[in-house]
Amino acid sequence: MPYSPGAAMRPERLLRLVPGLIFLALLLVALEWAVTTGLIRRALMPPPSAIWEVLQDLVTSGEVLGPLTATLRLVFIGFGIGSVIGIAVGTAMAWWAPAYRLLEPLVEMVRPLPKSALVPPLMLFLGIGDAMKITSVALAVVFPVLVNTLQGVRGVDRVLLDSARTHGWGTGRALWHVVLPAALPFILAGMRTSLGLALIIAVLSEMLTGQGGLGFLILDMQRSFLIRQMYAWLVILALVGLALNALFAWAEARALHWQTRNG
Amino acid sequence: MAGGTVAAPRGFRPTSGLLLVLGLFLLWEASARTGMVDSPNWPPLSRVLVALVRDTASGEIPMLVGSTLARMFAGLAAGTIAGIAVGLLFGASTMAQRVLGPTVELIRPIPIPAVIPPLVLFLGLDNGMKITVAAVSAFFPLLTNTAQGLRAVEADQIAMARTFGVPAWRRLFRVTLPAILPYVMAGLRVALALALVTTVVAEMIAGEQGVGHYLVLMQFAGRAEEMYAAVLVLALLGYALNRGFLWVERRSIAWYFATGRDG
Repeated sequence: MPYSPGAAMRPERLLRLVPGLIFLALLLVALEWAVTTGLIRRALMPPPSAIWEVLQDLVTSGEVLGPLTATLRLVFIGFGIGSVIGIAVGTAMAWWAPAYRLLEPLVEMVRPLPKSALVPPLMLFLGIGDAMKITSVALAVVFPVLVNTLQGVRGVDRVLLDSARTHGWGTGRALWHVVLPAALPFILAGMRTSLGLALIIAVLSEMLTGQGGLGFLILDMQRSFLIRQMYAWLVILALVGLALNALFAWAEARALHWQTRNG
Repeated sequence: MAGGTVAAPRGFRPTSGLLLVLGLFLLWEASARTGMVDSPNWPPLSRVLVALVRDTASGEIPMLVGSTLARMFAGLAAGTIAGIAVGLLFGASTMAQRVLGPTVELIRPIPIPAVIPPLVLFLGLDNGMKITVAAVSAFFPLLTNTAQGLRAVEADQIAMARTFGVPAWRRLFRVTLPAILPYVMAGLRVALALALVTTVVAEMIAGEQGVGHYLVLMQFAGRAEEMYAAVLVLALLGYALNRGFLWVERRSIAWYFATGRDG
């Protein structure tokens, strides 16, 4: 799990991956064998080679692009909106006591609510289009970011703030140049949790609305008994999840390079 | 403005925050009653509460909650045991981690709603599928925390037990597991929240069981009061589970908090 994407892929790091990749390859071969010999029913699990063929078709025909961009759009817009709100409100609550007293009970009430449960009510108000899906994603994203920002900003060393004030920095400048950078590791940890949630809620809202995107397709293929297609889209979604994680880890490592260097 | 980080106000006192929550509830009630928001999707809060009390008294909601919780805890238990077992294996053997790690890391980022359609093929729509979904979601946080915990405590305590010739099996239960318990508990807390969400999601997408299905059913039926009552039930459930867990955690690893490693 704790891989450091910032580090270059040195030969020994690549070498370490070998046993895992061999195992993965063996697993696929075993699966292929189990399906072709009838150990696993073909109706439940097509052979990996058949899924691979469908995948190739989806990619070469460009069919993959529409649903892929639909889901990614939801995730990115919802994640962006939710993160900005979470950081802004979290900072305000940590920085300014009246904001904390005003909002803390509300946050503590809404936070434990499983955000997936909000999708059906939101469908009543916002319909089944993008507005509903983006709102659902943003709602799920806000709270982990907010809580982590609150903790991070609270933990900022007072000496840093005092020295900023000694230099005559105003509140805005101190927030932007001192507080937010110091709280960044916390904020990013919250955003990492939220990114996973964003994808979950995006897929769920696509499934519940029966519209667009990878989530809908996976459910639709299963209900239409197009099993190979279902697995192919599932593989694509898994790769999306993997890519989003890797992208975030890369961005996080870049944003925090000063921190890792200091140990 | 004084600025800086402000300590959280402690203890109960009626603050602006509680007034805000109260005000929002009043606004909800008033907007629905006076026709400010004139929509069948927006029943006044009082009617939602009446529906909640009525369906609780009739036994319908307790039955739904009971069946959801039963599935959630069954999945949580299975996922926890599997997560700890694989986590111990990964923590104890670098080779095991190298061989199995990449496969685990490929599965981890798949958003959980997406694994429901294939699981439906193998396990059907009922308990087996939903318990598996909850178990899969609980597995990963426990795996990560167990492996990390083992690496963190390994050196001192386990080597000491080995020096004194404590046999391996006894060492596991008397030394290793208690030592990593704080890490396991931290993972379990995450897993608990996840298991509730994923159980409800599975109920929403497939089958006719539990609070999740009730929620979606009431949305389709246009019975807004019952739908909001179900959302309230889930919010209370999320809150109660988290509170209950904190209580158990405080008691089970009192020594950990007693040594001042609060956090």
